[in-house]
Amino acid sequence: YFRNELAVLQALSSTVQRDPTASHYRFQDDPYLTPRTASEFKLFSLSQESGRNAAKYIINTYPNFFLKDYAEPHIPCLMPESLQPKVTEVCEAGLRELIHLRKVRSAVDMYDRLLQAGTVVSLELTNNLLDLICFYGDQDPVQGDQAEPEKTAEGEVVQDPAPRRKEGRFRKSDSLHRTWRKDNNAERIFHLMPERNERSYGALIRGMVKYGAHSKAFDLYTDMQNNRMAADVHAFNALIAAAPEVRQKYSEKWDLIAEMLKQMNKLGVRPTLLTFNTVLKSLLRCGPLSRALVLQVLGEMKALGIEPSLATYYHILVAFYRQGEWGFIPKNKYSLGMVPLCIHLYLHTPARWEPGRSVLIVLLCLQCCSLKDLGLAYRVHSLLNVGDNWKLLGNPSREGFYYGSLFNLVCMMENIGVVLQWYRDLVPSLFYPNSHTMRDLLQALDADNRLDLIPEIWKDVKQLGLATVSGDLAEEVLALMARDEHSPEIQESFANCALAVKAVYGHGEQSQATLDFTASALCNMATILLAAGRTDQAWEILQLFKANNRVPSEKLLDEFLNSAKSGSNSEQAVTLVQMSSSFSLPATARLAQRVEQEFDLSEEQKKALQDVEATILSDAARLSAQLVHELRRQLQVAVLDAVGGVREQFERIHVVGRELGGRRHLLRLEKKHRLQAVARLVDHGDAARQFADAIEAGAQRGLAVDTALQRLFGQRRGERLCKLVLATAVSDGLDGAR
Amino acid sequence: MAVSFGGAGLILANHAVAHMSRTLCAVPRARAIHSTAVCCKHQAARIRVGKGDKPVTYEEAHPPHHIAHRKGWLSQHTSNLDRETGAAERTVEDIFIRRFIFGTFHGLLANELVIKRRGNMLVVCALFTQKIPAYKLYFLIGYTETLLSYFYKCPVKMEVQTVKDKVVYKYL
Repeated sequence: YFRNELAVLQALSSTVQRDPTASHYRFQDDPYLTPRTASEFKLFSLSQESGRNAAKYIINTYPNFFLKDYAEPHIPCLMPESLQPKVTEVCEAGLRELIHLRKVRSAVDMYDRLLQAGTVVSLELTNNLLDLICFYGDQDPVQGDQAEPEKTAEGEVVQDPAPRRKEGRFRKSDSLHRTWRKDNNAERIFHLMPERNERSYGALIRGMVKYGAHSKAFDLYTDMQNNRMAADVHAFNALIAAAPEVRQKYSEKWDLIAEMLKQMNKLGVRPTLLTFNTVLKSLLRCGPLSRALVLQVLGEMKALGIEPSLATYYHILVAFYRQGEWGFIPKNKYSLGMVPLCIHLYLHTPARWEPGRSVLIVLLCLQCCSLKDLGLAYRVHSLLNVGDNWKLLGNPSREGFYYGSLFNLVCMMENIGVVLQWYRDLVPSLFYPNSHTMRDLLQALDADNRLDLIPEIWKDVKQLGLATVSGDLAEEVLALMARDEHSPEIQESFANCALAVKAVYGHGEQSQATLDFTASALCNMATILLAAGRTDQAWEILQLFKANNRVPSEKLLDEFLNSAKSGSNSEQAVTLVQMSSSFSLPATARLAQRVEQEFDLSEEQKKALQDVEATILSDAARLSAQLVHELRRQLQVAVLDAVGGVREQFERIHVVGRELGGRRHLLRLEKKHRLQAVARLVDHGDAARQFADAIEAGAQRGLAVDTALQRLFGQRRGERLCKLVLATAVSDGLDGAR
Repeated sequence: MAVSFGGAGLILANHAVAHMSRTLCAVPRARAIHSTAVCCKHQAARIRVGKGDKPVTYEEAHPPHHIAHRKGWLSQHTSNLDRETGAAERTVEDIFIRRFIFGTFHGLLANELVIKRRGNMLVVCALFTQKIPAYKLYFLIGYTETLLSYFYKCPVKMEVQTVKDKVVYKYL
């Protein structure tokens, strides 16, 4: 003899724990069909659901194939739904059926036809009709699969009201977009009614409040009072909910609410849990008054013997905390005590689940995070296993939020053993971490000196699809691996991991987004590979620097030099020095010196080194010329007026310019002060000729002289110089001298 | 039952011959006719050996006399036990389900379906190839489960495994 049919199943299920290695039970148990990231989770569950909807559409469109009844006893939920009314003639039974089927418009039509035909519709039926209209806001409830516009009795095609419809899941948000229209069917029928009772008034008030006509609701209430009718508790709840909308000042709002409560008391209407929750909800709109009054309301509830539910605690908490970006910001100093108080109170009352309060658990967990209280967080988490509380977590994204914040707290406060235990428990069966969480985990590993686990974590990161989202994770992983010295096996595993990370950066598969190499990432990669002794692969990375336009750090080049020395490879050393000179690193000279001293070099290597040093010198000359230019630029224009000075300056410019090549020379002359100098030079014929020579030299190197000229000179001066240049160019047979 | 007319006929003929040989002419000895009941070769669920280029799965390769030795059962229900009824209805349901899934998951089945009945549930165990992306497979799975549940008025669950390609046992 069992207490209910499910007792055996419940007893069996209590023996089984959750399997942390399996995915959610709604998915198939197959590696190809297991979601690995949060987006895959959502995609798979949504596609399964849409498959079900497609099947239901077919079943409801062709019900004649599904009518044969094999089941004994009859299972009504496995029969096709008949949404069409069976009764066709105009009568009360037809109206009843239409109300049952929730066809608002057809019901109103039927009612009108009944009235025209002269039949008296009973009060109860009219009240039912009013309830229907007010609940649905005078429009048909939107079904997910009824995308076609419906025809009314007059034959017009009426568009479905809600423009945004997402497969029936967001029906509630659709209803909130509707407003209470002025020429409403509900009001019309209400006025047509020969006698009205409290139920009619109540229905209309509640409909008005639901769809935003708050002041009308209050008008109707005064109407009721004038007719000496007592509203019931539901109407009062609606009025309390509407109270904050009809008054402006906070104190007035609260006065109105208090007034309503007093009237309830006078009429003997007993407040319920819903009343108090509505009071709390309305209090939230009353500004700073809320914090003072909220606890009083709680006291009233206790006095009346009504047990507070989770919604109550939710409202209380929201009164004290404001939703910030990453957590909740306490509004005043009393806020911090609220969370433990709420949890304490809640634990002493039996769990009562209310729909729509999924935010509560999330909120509580976040409070614990901002409070950094680990014990409290564990208590909140244990609440989840009580009864039906798992439903409080809401949809998967909220669940992910909750677990993310819980895991964040655990990473911060606990030691690595516990962190890893939680990690294996939660991921990936319960939630899919984002990059923020993974970074917390890496920091926890770092803090506890367990960097050897990084390769495994990287594998998880790759599987979660977080590697290519932003380069931060990859860079952080590389930086952590490259930072310290480790034992040889760990270095080996780090080197393998570094190569795996490199694969993420490079050209991945077509569907993946690839990241660009950054200088620090490349440096770290090379360091790791060198530390593990894989010099060839490290050299490949050096080539990548050039290919991707990144500059290696000097420390890296030093390390390479060390490794070349340990391998006694002077060829590599010389190549290193050449590479660093091509990057124009300031450390090149030092490197060249080091190479000369520490290595035995052959003749050609020595020559190569000397070339490098020559370029260093010219670079140095250029740098000093740059300095000269800068100094000159500081001089006043008056100094430039002196012709002699100008000429010297120009000669100097010219000399340096010859060294550097024409283009740079010209570009340098783009500076404003030099523009003026050159403008003056134009007047001096031979200086112009020298300048023209310089331009010619530049043109011989195939540089875009003409554009440079155009940019350098204004129109007037330009023409003159251009003529000069043309003359020289034509005489020298240059092409492109426009 | 091989009836040989040859022997008896021979005796009679001999008598006749003996009888007739006393008369004038000698009758030539007739050829015997053998006839038996027709006994055709077994051809149920067998693939005959061919050139060697036809890939064949384990299920297909074994003929039915290997069931319970090397093969299992494809359809598991209790109607074939003693004093249980409904075997024919179960078989018809099975056939419908197999055709339905063959058509819905077109080109994806890697092997025969296994249909199990547990309690009031119908469990369809299928092996698919990974030709379509996973979310499309989930759409089809949700669709099949719901449609078959409404059709047979009992919960229908699918247990799906996927495999890269059809698993070849041998080439015949």
